[in-house]
Amino acid sequence: MLRRRFEGELKRLQDEVLGLGYAVQRAITEAVDGLKVRNLDVSQQIIAGDSEINRKRFQIEADVLVLIATQQPMARDLRALAAILDIIRELERTGDYAKGIAKISLNIGEEELIKPLLDIPRMSEKAMDMLGRALRAYIDNDDRSAREIALEDDEVDGLYNQVRHELVTLILADPSRVEQANMLLWAAHNLERAADRVTNICERVVFSATGELGELPNSPDQSDA
Amino acid sequence: MIKIRAEHVDAYYGAKQVLADISLDIKERQITALIGPSGCGKSTFMRCLNRMNDSVRIFSLRGDVYLDGDPIYADTYDVVQLRQRVGMVFQRPNPFPQTVYDNVAFGPRVVARERGADLDSIVEESLRRVGLWQELRDKLTQDALSLSLGQQQRLCLARVLSTRPEVILMDEPASALDPIETLRIEDLMRELIELYTIVIVTHNMQQAARVSDWTAFFLTDDGLTGKLVEYGETGQIFTQPDDKRTIDYITGRFG
Repeated sequence: MLRRRFEGELKRLQDEVLGLGYAVQRAITEAVDGLKVRNLDVSQQIIAGDSEINRKRFQIEADVLVLIATQQPMARDLRALAAILDIIRELERTGDYAKGIAKISLNIGEEELIKPLLDIPRMSEKAMDMLGRALRAYIDNDDRSAREIALEDDEVDGLYNQVRHELVTLILADPSRVEQANMLLWAAHNLERAADRVTNICERVVFSATGELGELPNSPDQSDA
Repeated sequence: MIKIRAEHVDAYYGAKQVLADISLDIKERQITALIGPSGCGKSTFMRCLNRMNDSVRIFSLRGDVYLDGDPIYADTYDVVQLRQRVGMVFQRPNPFPQTVYDNVAFGPRVVARERGADLDSIVEESLRRVGLWQELRDKLTQDALSLSLGQQQRLCLARVLSTRPEVILMDEPASALDPIETLRIEDLMRELIELYTIVIVTHNMQQAARVSDWTAFFLTDDGLTGKLVEYGETGQIFTQPDDKRTIDYITGRFG
């Protein structure tokens, strides 16, 4: 095989993207967990850890630019690198959602939760499972899986609607709970957006694998992003 | 680790100064690319590193070049040994009009007086290193000139390796080769730095970017005297060079 140096660097960068993905997955999962079990220390750690996620993203971005400048990648090699630039942006924004959820947890503070959290952790679990598989699909150049994963966004949207309905009902029943309910709505909204970003990642996987540029069904409305 | 250090090198052809104040460290087991437009002194500078310019009668040099800390322009320095330690591959493949075997065996026969089985194993090892052994093991008695250009160039590299050098200087080693052979040579260079230090002069900026760890940009502002404009890690030189002239050159807005 020719171009071993390029192949080696591309592989290394893809591993870095996976690493960033795992860090983001962990951040979301722990942020939701911190919110659920009211562990404010965990929430603090998530907020502090966000800068590390940002740092990793910029490091990967700089390395991709060096690789493009020095190795002149073409065709699928170029697409694989262009896709990384998009994917890491989506990951970094997902990391920001984790931070947002952690802040919500801190804002709720010592207050007791107005309801036990069930569907919000389910949203998180589902979205993060999709994220892990989307990144795997990127590494495997598996556009078929990517298209399927994007469709699963419906499940997260379904859960989101359920959470929203429940919280709105709670607010209507007891307006004094509006503040916390609103915060929980935002936490759920963050998770719904996180799943949308997985859909964006799936689009880049399809692009990287096939060269096809376009939105997948379930793509978040760009004006809403 | 610094393998070769050039300190304030000035070079002259007669009264004409062709290099001015070049200071540059070549790192061990890495690839250093010398780039710049024609006439910028990059080849002249590379030839200073194994005293290839000595044969030019009117050539003279000021400043110092050190190999492993020893000044190679000292009067007592053994030039024959220097050229064995610092080998060179040229722009066009230049195999001797002999068999494949004799081409690779040439150096060890003359320099180390190797014979017989020892010589056979040196030839095999050298051909293996350049990825030619599988292709040529049954064709060792074939005329070297019957090989493809790419094979000839790798054979010339094997000929250099057979004398067990520490540094390999390459002057436009792929300029006569097609794109696939070019990539093969580049891959080979990346393999060779496990054992050797490589300096390459190339007009092909993309090649310098692809293959090297360090890049030195040479330029002349009077059409005569070459100067070192910028030297740094290749990734940095090709994404965020410091000097305006480097930016102009690597973005193709110059010359």
